[in-house]
Amino acid sequence: MDDKKSTIRTGFIESLPLAIAIAAYGLSYGVLANQANFTLLSTVAMSLMVFSGSVQMVAVAMLIAGASVLSVLITSVLLNLRNLLYGAALAEGLAPAKKWRWLLSFGVSDEPFVLGSSRFKKFGPDPLYFGVVTATFYFAWSCSSFIGAIIGNQVDPQKWGLDLAFPVTFIALLIPSLKGRPVIATALAAIVIAVGLEHFSPGNQFTIIITGVLAPLVGLYLKRRA
Amino acid sequence: MFNHWILIGLLAVSTYVTRIIGVVVMSGREMSPALRLYFNYVPVGIISALIVKQILIPVEGQLVLSFPILIGCLFTAIAMKFMRLFLPAVVLGVIIGLLTRYLS
Repeated sequence: MDDKKSTIRTGFIESLPLAIAIAAYGLSYGVLANQANFTLLSTVAMSLMVFSGSVQMVAVAMLIAGASVLSVLITSVLLNLRNLLYGAALAEGLAPAKKWRWLLSFGVSDEPFVLGSSRFKKFGPDPLYFGVVTATFYFAWSCSSFIGAIIGNQVDPQKWGLDLAFPVTFIALLIPSLKGRPVIATALAAIVIAVGLEHFSPGNQFTIIITGVLAPLVGLYLKRRA
Repeated sequence: MFNHWILIGLLAVSTYVTRIIGVVVMSGREMSPALRLYFNYVPVGIISALIVKQILIPVEGQLVLSFPILIGCLFTAIAMKFMRLFLPAVVLGVIIGLLTRYLS
């Protein structure tokens, strides 16, 4: 019981900095959806049903720019490709949840993946932790979308330094796992590949998935050679 | 307005499908040692790519290096390496990043 309590507490504490940053972006999404003529109900419904910052932001921004439903849908499929990789990498850590995996899978996206995979690496499978993290982000994202749609004016995440919370949290989770040549080589390869792809096509949506597929091959090669 | 609801429904279904496929397809399967090792390295690759994408920001088709984010990340990395305290390291990185933004 104490273990469960401690897992819930840890999940909540570790997701808090990101939840605050997510809430700031949720406010921006609410404001943007308002401009795309979404009603208050549909703005919040989208957050509750889709629960994906990148997909929702891009969708409403494209609608404001006059894009068709089909083009928004195709773009979202491309954006979502990396979820396949996240899901596959998280599968073992979520396996003990059995049928609850169908609910927990709702949290498969950037931030829960980063927190979840770090946790599984250190402590083994832990669906409860992943559930707490997802629930915290879900609450932050949904509530802030609602507030953003009501207040309707811009909250600038940059001004409050909230844009810094994402990369800084990711670094804090990455550093402890950098042990051994294969892992360090994977990280270095990922940096080189990602910088190369961004240089070739700035801001493209494929950098994460391509890097995620290719960089681990370097680690795998070094480990097998050793 | 009706279009919005269709779009929300389609986005909800397509996003959820991409989330569940990996989890269900890979779980319960005996992964080969090589595949297991590969997936072991995936998080490090992805997290590094996410960090790169936030340090290099595209502005009008050109990549711009964000010094506040880079310096914030460096301080968090150093703090994490030596103190191993998650929240203080994150808070320190954000404060240093903010100072860099407003003092530069």
